[in-house]
Parts: sequence; structure tokens; C-alpha cells
Amino acid sequence: MAIDNVTVKKIVIPDRFKPVLGASGFYFMMMAVFIYFAPDVFLQVGMFTAVFLSLPLFIIMGLSLVFVTVSGEIDLSFPSTLALTGLIFSLTLTATDYNFWLAFLASVTTGVACGLFVGFLVTKLGFSSLITTLGVNFMFAGITQVLNKGQLRQFPKFDDSPIRAAVVGSWGPIPAQLIWGLGIALILGIIFNRHRFGIHVHIAGDNPEAGRAMGVNISRVKVLCFVLVGVCCSITSTISILMNSTYYSTMGEGYLLPVLAAVFVGGTPVTGGKGTIAGLVIGATTVVFINTGVVAVGLDGYYTGLGFGLVIILSLLGHRALSGRLSR
Amino acid sequence: MDKSPLIELIGVEKTFGRVQALSNINLKLYEGEIVSLVGDNGAGKTTLTKIISGTESADDGAKIILRGQEQKNWNAAKARKLGIETVHQNRALSEQQSIYANVFMGRELVNRFGFVKRKEQIKETEALMRKIGYTSKVWTPHSPVLKLSGGERQGVAISRAILFDSSLVMLDEPTTAMALSEQAEVMEFILNLKAQGRSVIFISHNPWDAHAVADRFVILDRGRLVFDGPKGNTTADEFISMLRDVAKKGSV
Repeated sequence: MAIDNVTVKKIVIPDRFKPVLGASGFYFMMMAVFIYFAPDVFLQVGMFTAVFLSLPLFIIMGLSLVFVTVSGEIDLSFPSTLALTGLIFSLTLTATDYNFWLAFLASVTTGVACGLFVGFLVTKLGFSSLITTLGVNFMFAGITQVLNKGQLRQFPKFDDSPIRAAVVGSWGPIPAQLIWGLGIALILGIIFNRHRFGIHVHIAGDNPEAGRAMGVNISRVKVLCFVLVGVCCSITSTISILMNSTYYSTMGEGYLLPVLAAVFVGGTPVTGGKGTIAGLVIGATTVVFINTGVVAVGLDGYYTGLGFGLVIILSLLGHRALSGRLSR
Repeated sequence: MDKSPLIELIGVEKTFGRVQALSNINLKLYEGEIVSLVGDNGAGKTTLTKIISGTESADDGAKIILRGQEQKNWNAAKARKLGIETVHQNRALSEQQSIYANVFMGRELVNRFGFVKRKEQIKETEALMRKIGYTSKVWTPHSPVLKLSGGERQGVAISRAILFDSSLVMLDEPTTAMALSEQAEVMEFILNLKAQGRSVIFISHNPWDAHAVADRFVILDRGRLVFDGPKGNTTADEFISMLRDVAKKGSV
């Protein structure tokens, strides 16, 4: 009969929520697969506690990468900036007989200087950020090696310090650093979406010429994004050193691809002008769970790479199905 | 006119590599007048407006005097702060961002910590959209600009220029890609600006439009200012033959 007259009420999802929705949908699907194949592992609190130990490091790094990516640039130099800021932290710590705050300040200052350096190369000299930061990554890694002289630096005195308890202690099954990581995500999320700086970051990656014509200082915005990466590097390296009471100069290795994957799996397109902080948090969680998940479902650790690849490509498919704008 | 000018340009030159885009431009602009800036492609019209709006800087030695004050380190942010708004030829819109983000681009309403007053911006954008006739219910202040048509995008660019209390509005080819009815609205809008006491620099390829609203004509030819005079009783036909002379001989 009058079937034609039946109106199908479509649920309209605002565009700005789609990337987050896509990322979380994908995350829950992946977790369902893991739980199905290894329920005894994935339904235990201990499993999550283990994942949450390192998750904040990926979140904090990824947050700054979202800013850079949305501003229309990319930063591949953060792994060695991480190692360099960590080294400066360690050296200052030793030199000042465990003055944590001075060491942290020195580390942040180093991070800021690294960001300014990259920002100068990219905005003032007009170099491609992809190639520049690739070079800078090698350069900072070299500087770190030269300064560190192959040493493993241990800080056993930290083991029972109140600072360590506050930064990387545990609140029940929840590691303290997770709270710090999420707190930083919340603050940067508000800045990203509600502060003039965040708005200008979007414009810088979308149409920098328009921004300049309207009086936005695009170069300054981009430099500040690189500086943010440096600061996040120093926070991440400090947390990492406190966690292990150890500094090793290769601490940045193993971050590059997972952090970038977290940004893109989270739904921030590589083209700039758009991005999501909440998506990044979910993306980082997805990425960190892959490592553990692949092993827990009974596969060889060698399969981790394959798992990563599948997740990145499948998540791109998911994002495209939702918004159709992540194909580039 | 013996009033003091709103803005005065002295000896403005601009070279791009070996190309002289503007040579020795001297121009005065008074309050409440509409100047039609005309000339062939490559005459330097857009470059001149970009220098006035601070988007492009003039070569050394040029002077920009605003309300009797010589301006140093002239840039886009300063120009907007001092009441110069521009509707750029390429519209200068950030397409993935919302309509309200574009309307307030570079002049965001913020509290003293720099956080954007979103609700106020949305409210003002809604009022603006009603004013310029966005009757379509499809678009809200949240809609990204990339979903709008050419004319609608121009509407956003133009409404941005009137939102702030500007004393000079420059429109660079504002009617490109517009329907006839929309073009008529833009002409109406320009006359309205004058009625409010604002000055207008209007660039158009259409000599009839340029003639219709002008108080004064400024004709550029290959970077030189070849004519600057009041419209008076010049008819549209006379104006067009002037333009033809310039194109042929390089002078009126």
C-alpha cells in the first residue's frame, strides 16, 4: 500500500563528531575480537593496568602531533627530541644532586629550544617539515649519543621519592601517569577547540593565505606547535625516566610509528585544518592495545607488525565510510 | 575636497623580482567616498589593495598615512585594528572551518585568557546570516564553508567586512561568480556603506558597475596611476571610452 509515504527518519551525526565516533567504533570492535579470542586475558583488571602504564606516554606525544598535523605540518623529529630532553633531565639531575624541579625545567627549556629550531627551519626558511624533521631527528639523535657517550643512567634514589609516587605511582589499579596524561589531554583539548590559538592552528592548516589576509600570524602559530612538541617530549621523557628510574639514550625509539598511527587512527587527517583530541586518545589506546592484544590472543610477537598494519588500514576504511574525507 | 584624507599613499612602489607591479603611486582617499579602482588585468589593482590591507608590504620608501599619522610596520592585523576591512578576490575563507569561525577569523571575540566566546560569536553570526538573507534552513553558523555555493561564500566574506566597525572597506571583484540578483545586492550594499559614512574602494571588471556606484575613478595601467578624478557628469559611455584609450595609448 502506501509504503512510499513512510518517512525514514535519518539520524544526523554532526560532522565534527564523526572522526571520534569512527575511532571509538573501531576500538570497541577490535577489543571485541580480542575478548572473544582471549577472554581470560582481556577481562582481567591487571591487563588494563599494564596497558595504562605506557598509554599516557603515547597520549602526551600524540596530542602535540595532532596540533602539528592540524597546522598543516608534520614532525618526525620527536623521538630524538624525547631522548635529548631526557638526557638533559638526567644530566641536570646528577649535577644538582637530585633537584627534580631544576632538572625538569632544564628538560622543558631544551624541548622549547628544539621546537624553536625546527619552527625556524620550517617557517622562516620555508623548508618542508617532512624532510626537515627527518633530518633533525638524525641530528638530535647524534647530539644525544655524543653527549651521553653510551651510558645507561640509573637513578635508584628515586625509588621511594614522593615525586615518583605523585607522577608514576598507582591509585588503586590506575597508574597515576594515566591521570596526568588524561589531564593534559583535557587541557590541550580545550585549547585546541576553544582557545584562539587552537582556532588559529586549524586555520593555519586549512588556508594559511586566508589567515594571513585576516591578520593571523600563521608562522607564529606553526612555531608554537613545534614548541608544543618539544614540551610534550620533555614531559614524556621525564615520566618515562621516573617509571624506570633509568635513562637510556634509545628511549625515543619505538615511538615514531605508533604515535603517528595513533594520530591517524584517531581520525585526524594528514591534510591539515581538521583534527580531534578525543580521537587521538582513543587512537592511542587502540595502538597500545595491539601490542598486548596480538600476543594475548596466542599469536607470536612477530605478528605485531601485521596487526598494526591491519588496524591502520581498516581504521582508514572506517573513517572514510563515515566522512569520506580521509582518503588523502 | 579640502578635508584631510582618511588614508594617503605616497610613493608606493612594488616589485616582484624583475616585474614592477606598482610604480610611484600617490593616492588620497577621503571619508564617505566610493572610489572605483579600474584597469586591465595586471594593472596592479589587487596589489594596491593588498598593500593598503597590509597583506603585502610595499617596497622601501613608501609612506602610508592614516588619519594624518604615518604608519610604520604596516601589517594585516594592524590594518584591521585601525578599521580597514577587505573582501579579497579569492575570498580568504578557511573552507573546512565553520561559518562563524570564518566570520571572526583573526578578530575572534575572546575573554582575557584568550578563550573564544563561542556563544556570542554564534549569536552574532546568526544575526548576520539573517541580515544578508540566508533563508536556507540547511546552513547554520556551524556549517563548514566548503558546503556553501560561490555566492554564499562571497556573502560570508562580505558580511565579515561589515561586522566590525570599519572606516574603509575594500572589495576586490566581489561580484565574480554571482547571480545577477546577487550582484545587484552587492551594489546596494556598497551604497549602503557610503550612507553609513564609510569609504569604499571598489574593484570591478564590469565598467558599468564601476561607473554606477563611483564618486571618483582611479585608473591604473601596468602599475602606473594614469587617471584620478571625480565622476562629475561623466556618463558610462564616456567612462568606457576612457578605459579604451588607456588600454590603447596608456593614458587618457
